[in-house]
Amino acid sequence: MAAEPADSAVDQAAEYPPELSRLPPGRHGLPREFVVHNQHERLIAGLAEAVAEKGFANTTIADITRHAAVSRRTFYEHFTSKDECFVKAYDTVMEQLRERVGEAYQAEDDWPHAIKAGIAAMLAFLATEPNLARLCMVEALVAGPIVVERYDAAIQSLVPYFRKGRKGRPREVLDRLSPTTEEALVGGMVSLVSRRIFAGRTEDLEQLLPDLVEFALTPYLGSAEAAKIAREG
Amino acid sequence: MSPRSPMRPPPGRQQLPREFIARHQRQRIINALAEEAAEKGYRAVTVADIVRRAGIARNTFYENFPSKEGCFLAAQEYAVEEALRRVVEAAGGVDSWQERVRAGLGSFLASVATEPALARACFVEALSAGPAAVERYEASLQAFVPLFRIGRKVSPQGGELPATLEETIVGGIFWILYQRIVAGETERIEELLPELIEFALTPYVGAEAARRTASEPPL
Repeated sequence: MAAEPADSAVDQAAEYPPELSRLPPGRHGLPREFVVHNQHERLIAGLAEAVAEKGFANTTIADITRHAAVSRRTFYEHFTSKDECFVKAYDTVMEQLRERVGEAYQAEDDWPHAIKAGIAAMLAFLATEPNLARLCMVEALVAGPIVVERYDAAIQSLVPYFRKGRKGRPREVLDRLSPTTEEALVGGMVSLVSRRIFAGRTEDLEQLLPDLVEFALTPYLGSAEAAKIAREG
Repeated sequence: MSPRSPMRPPPGRQQLPREFIARHQRQRIINALAEEAAEKGYRAVTVADIVRRAGIARNTFYENFPSKEGCFLAAQEYAVEEALRRVVEAAGGVDSWQERVRAGLGSFLASVATEPALARACFVEALSAGPAAVERYEASLQAFVPLFRIGRKVSPQGGELPATLEETIVGGIFWILYQRIVAGETERIEELLPELIEFALTPYVGAEAARRTASEPPL
């Protein structure tokens, strides 16, 4: 993004940040033109790019505005600090991620396939948006306590989806589960994914799908059934 | 400094060898950093905080470590070495792999419970203490992987288990510890032992065998 910062960002249509260009029109309920010229969105995408380049600690407001192709004054019309901009960026990305994962999950008829679809959607999103992946799973941990809290809460919010796996299971399966089963499952999976992202291996993420699905489903379905679903189609 | 620390001088010695003093001092500084970081967060800690807490001169700090970051990395390294040493020791006299996991995990949780500041540094603060610290975190996770990998030999599924299984198990355990430490529940960490044993063993030996091992009375 080599555009000069402009006082009014209106005429930058051809150079809007890549993250925005991948959003289907109408996702925000707004026409694409409006989104493109929406300074707030540009700043968020600009922050994602800047942080991907230098890490949160070394990113300056000048870096953000350069990537966003807006002026410093414009930055301060929207945010009071780099930290605040990051929180907003984090929330925005997480909302997108939740939507994609939620849609994929809801589209399936049975729980095991819903889990598989949800994990697949998450991996696909992170693999195609490496900057955003890094932002929400690596940089989030160094961006201050407010973001860390949100990060923790986001991971814990996955627990209920896995807990649904208990529904309708025979007694002997339920007896083998413990209070922390879902937490450990989610923690293990997130750890694996975030460590791949930290190592810069986002292209490898989608390959993790069969392993993650087998790991997630085994406590509820047994290893044979879990492996079958994990490795099919 | 916990009473189980290996740093106490043998009784009756009049003159302490230089090496002993040096190790003791390093240890003290590491503990001071861990305690300061547990209170304020790693970012906010200064070398002045550390030397005050350790009761040493600023010079002494810099004789031992190049920087706050260097001291933190040393703390992580020390913690992992100690934990591994205790795990291997605990698992030593035991026959079956499942029993070794039980003894090892038990000793690991005990380490966390007795050194809460150091545990906080390694499991919580490390993630926001810079890329070198995160790499150390990664390395410490990987250090425990081989202990679980042995389970593939006793597992009926052996070769068909997912390649990333061990990483996911250790990652899951680390996450649970992270949550409990953040919630200030370190004294109760050893209560998690049976659940964590089940979590770790089930993929290899099945839920029933895992539960049997998990519910045996403590050694």
